[in-house]
Amino acid sequence: MVHDIDTVLDAPIGDHPDPGEFIRAAMRWHFDPRTGSPFWLARARTLDFDPLTDVKGVDDLALFPNVCDELRDVRAEDLVPRGYGDRPDICGIYESGGTTGRPKRVVLLRDWFDKSQAWLGATLDAHGVPRGANWLMMFPTGPHMGGYAYARLARDRGSHAFSIDMDPRWVKQLIAAGRTEDARAYAGHLLEQARHVLRGQDVGVLAITPPVLERLAVDEELTALVRDKVGAIVWAGAHMDAATRDLLGGEVFPGIPIVGFFGSTMMLHSCGQRGTEDPGACVFDPPAPFITFRVVDEDGKPVEYGTRGRVVVNHVSRSFLLPNNLDRDEATRVPGPPGQVGDSLADVTPVQVFDGEAVIEGVY
Amino acid sequence: MSATSHLVRLDALGPSGAYRSRNVQTVNDIHGAPYAELSLVPPLFVARTMAALRKADPLPLEQRLDAIAAAGRAFATGTVGGLSAEEYQHAVCRVSGLPWVTTEMALEFTAQYTERAYLSSQLARPAGAVNDWRDPRTRHGSGVWARRGHVFAVHAPGNTPSAHTLWLQSLALGYRVALRPSSREPFSPHRWITALRDAGFGPDQVALLPTDHATADEVVRGADLAMVYGDDEVVRKYASSATVLPQGPGRSKFLLTKDADWTSYLDTVVSSVSAHGGAACINTTTVYVEGDPAPLARALAERLAALPSLPPQDPKAVLPVKPLAEARGIERFLLAKAAGTTPWLGGDGIVDDLGDGTAVLRPAVHQVARPDAPQTRIEQRFPCVWVAPWSPEAGVAPLRDTVVLTAVTDDEALVDRLFAEPSIANVYLGDHPTYWLPPGIPHDDYLESFLMRTKACIR
Repeated sequence: MVHDIDTVLDAPIGDHPDPGEFIRAAMRWHFDPRTGSPFWLARARTLDFDPLTDVKGVDDLALFPNVCDELRDVRAEDLVPRGYGDRPDICGIYESGGTTGRPKRVVLLRDWFDKSQAWLGATLDAHGVPRGANWLMMFPTGPHMGGYAYARLARDRGSHAFSIDMDPRWVKQLIAAGRTEDARAYAGHLLEQARHVLRGQDVGVLAITPPVLERLAVDEELTALVRDKVGAIVWAGAHMDAATRDLLGGEVFPGIPIVGFFGSTMMLHSCGQRGTEDPGACVFDPPAPFITFRVVDEDGKPVEYGTRGRVVVNHVSRSFLLPNNLDRDEATRVPGPPGQVGDSLADVTPVQVFDGEAVIEGVY
Repeated sequence: MSATSHLVRLDALGPSGAYRSRNVQTVNDIHGAPYAELSLVPPLFVARTMAALRKADPLPLEQRLDAIAAAGRAFATGTVGGLSAEEYQHAVCRVSGLPWVTTEMALEFTAQYTERAYLSSQLARPAGAVNDWRDPRTRHGSGVWARRGHVFAVHAPGNTPSAHTLWLQSLALGYRVALRPSSREPFSPHRWITALRDAGFGPDQVALLPTDHATADEVVRGADLAMVYGDDEVVRKYASSATVLPQGPGRSKFLLTKDADWTSYLDTVVSSVSAHGGAACINTTTVYVEGDPAPLARALAERLAALPSLPPQDPKAVLPVKPLAEARGIERFLLAKAAGTTPWLGGDGIVDDLGDGTAVLRPAVHQVARPDAPQTRIEQRFPCVWVAPWSPEAGVAPLRDTVVLTAVTDDEALVDRLFAEPSIANVYLGDHPTYWLPPGIPHDDYLESFLMRTKACIR
């Protein structure tokens, strides 16, 4: 390990290292033949700029091409920076959900994972999510990072996780094939498993995806069990609109904190919802400068604050570099908290695809 | 319904009352100016509303019939949700571009239908069935008429406000009803549900659930039975479902065989094409003439050409009005589709620019060369008629897929075949417009055939 080089990269997220210093250190690490990953060292030869001299801050990350698609084929080992030595501490190799074609692969290294988890834990504390309470975790495991990370979060907080597995790729295939009833039946299958855990076990935190939470919220027994037992609901892995958040918080689970997380495998992290008085606002602040957001228009230019655009994500850590990744989500651009570099996001939704104008036959 | 600033506010009407969503769809008028705000509910709201409807009991029969009649009177003449009948008519015309006459007809129909909702539904009851198991006939064994479900959902059409009279019977039968309005004309559904609640239906008995397109399916899924208006695609989607009744294009037709003197029926053909602004599924789409169709096409074109171009809210307005760009789009579509036909009216276009960013959709009359010309299936939301030749050799085939067929003929064998054809829903004989539809007459079969079943009972 060569971690004594540029120790700014090892600062905890909460220390808010200086973005310029941090980015320059990261460039030195990832593009030094002794420490960079085989993937980036090879890719560097095709760049029309020099990361060591041209990338001086977060804004300059936009110089990079979006290499996301290359993560579908690259050898996982080639993504690990050489600086980690012969026996890097790899937590796992995780894959994107497969929403947009073949899955993309990333390597989760221990030092980043610990940093990310510590930050998630602090976010949960800030939202009043109880410590020492068991979790019922309904996130996918296997190739997906969520199930791995959140189960360990429960352990870090002094409790256990009851895990119910799900296969989101199969659900996506069902929906794409128009088999919505089968997709619903699958969600029902997950909820029946949750019912056994909620009836018989001490569960204080429910971690769940929005679609399954919505289904749970119309089941009388499950709703009553959650109201009785659960001290906080954590959702992640999909989107939830403001009207649904209102209903869940105001009518279905009044008084229970409902905390959203926005993340992705390519981000190697999920960002907790900003604490605010207004339940309708759902703002996500990234752990900058490790992860930074930019909200852009079709031409890649930043949109005005308060305007919607596509989300561009940069991940820059000692363990991984994925700059300038145009995400599948769109969001409203909002200013970050004082001192944060880059944008924060409100009301994240999947990119909408609009059809052209069509004259419809028939009178309805 | 209440006005905040200058916009009419159309809240969802759920089990806890009016619901103002964070997700609001702006409904523009035909000038493109915002006119109303429609609260769109998320899937969870739909699911919770459906659960509440399913839990609720229906109102007792007498009470619900009184409430339906009272709601009908209020709808047609009263102030509902802050809008007088005239203000409501104005809103419909201003947003949908439907001509004033269609709203007049809707109010008239409303009063007729709501007074007779129960009598109408009784006409559909099988002769072997009684309404209640307490009926003495069950002592010797009888059928008992019963609901097939508890909750009925309707994806309401936006083409003409008269269409809402069709689902009202479900309330008379004791269904709890969830209505999803069309964003093209959400005023009528909102006025209906508000009037029904004012008249005594509970918020857990009738509901208004505006949704975006993606959530619309939730309304259907959450109900026991549903009626969905739409195009051919919608009909295909639900064709095999036993619990969804799709209502597709009407493609109503008028047939005049050679024993009929068409000149005596011209008034009826003209009104069949153009009543309701030409926007209803019971407006004639195609006129079939045995022999040379040209004289009738010419006469029809002359008559329809005389209809005035007026803004929709003008009391004399009879033709629909659209934003200019949308009207141009419809015109391009029509002209492209009409290629190869003989135009008698509207061959150069159907758009009459009113100079204020809107345009009247003028009538169109095209003559096609063959009974099976593909144009004969093109139904539009304005008076757009295809005139086609017909012969006994062509037979019933071109007359298929029809909600109303008016046939003027002395050929009883032909009439027998028309009644035997499953895809023709209604056959009117002689001098009757295709839009004839008084209370108690089935529209596309009795809706009760879908909503009710007969159970055996002996005691």
